[in-house]
Amino acid sequence: MATTTAQLILTSTDLLSDSLSLSSIATLTTAGSSTGLTTTSGLGRKTTTSTSQYILFDADDYASGPAKAHKVYLKNLSTTAAEYFTITHNAEEVGRLYAGDWAFFPWNNHDGSADIKITPSVSTSITLEYMLLTD
Amino acid sequence: MATTATLTLASTDIAGDPVNVSKVATLTKAGSTNDLDQSSGLSRVHLRSTTNKVLLAANAEGDNLAAKVYVINKSDDASLYVTITINAQTIGKLYGGDFMFMPWSQTDTSASIEVAATNWTSSTGDIPVEYALFHEDTDFLTNA
Repeated sequence: MATTTAQLILTSTDLLSDSLSLSSIATLTTAGSSTGLTTTSGLGRKTTTSTSQYILFDADDYASGPAKAHKVYLKNLSTTAAEYFTITHNAEEVGRLYAGDWAFFPWNNHDGSADIKITPSVSTSITLEYMLLTD
Repeated sequence: MATTATLTLASTDIAGDPVNVSKVATLTKAGSTNDLDQSSGLSRVHLRSTTNKVLLAANAEGDNLAAKVYVINKSDDASLYVTITINAQTIGKLYGGDFMFMPWSQTDTSASIEVAATNWTSSTGDIPVEYALFHEDTDFLTNA
């Protein structure tokens, strides 16, 4: 059994009248158990040169079902603030990942349509970094 | 005014070589280097509903603006999970101790973030969930 941890730290000294300092640590486990996730895509990068939509993670390529605890990490490596990737789950737009932003969220590939897709905002070269940790 | 979010993914044994990914993002407004300047603050609810409840209501004025959502399942029970849904699309499940941090497009008022304590029963106890929203829309509260 592997042990993988994810830690989030949110900080701000001036967003609020008191300092914000939030830290959460999660040990990534299979659904509903204390057994660690054992498989990963590894850290990858995808560079795009089109505003077409791309399938980043095909739901059919990973063990599916209602009880899965896959985790997705994404980061937009662009340094141009206006450039973003639109993140889509199935047909639902989840959010936009602007330059320098990262995201970490669970993925429920409950059926073959539940792909994670990305749509670049520009047709010039832009790179997304990603990692999938699978149940 | 800057808010930073740091993610560290670490494992010594999930692959042949250690994994150690650490990334820092400064939370900014859409398409700019101006910092996000509004937050819901850290909130907490105790879920006991197996059907979807609105955690964060989408505001159509938020479309094309930056928003970041943090949600954590604070249950100590690894088997108790919270289903995260946007516009009837199940995004994923947060099991006890799991968190997520992701951008949120409020494409329309149907794009609310909803949660359900899907496998809750009267004997499992409530599922505590904490969440925070960081956003930029000045009219968010008055138009929500």
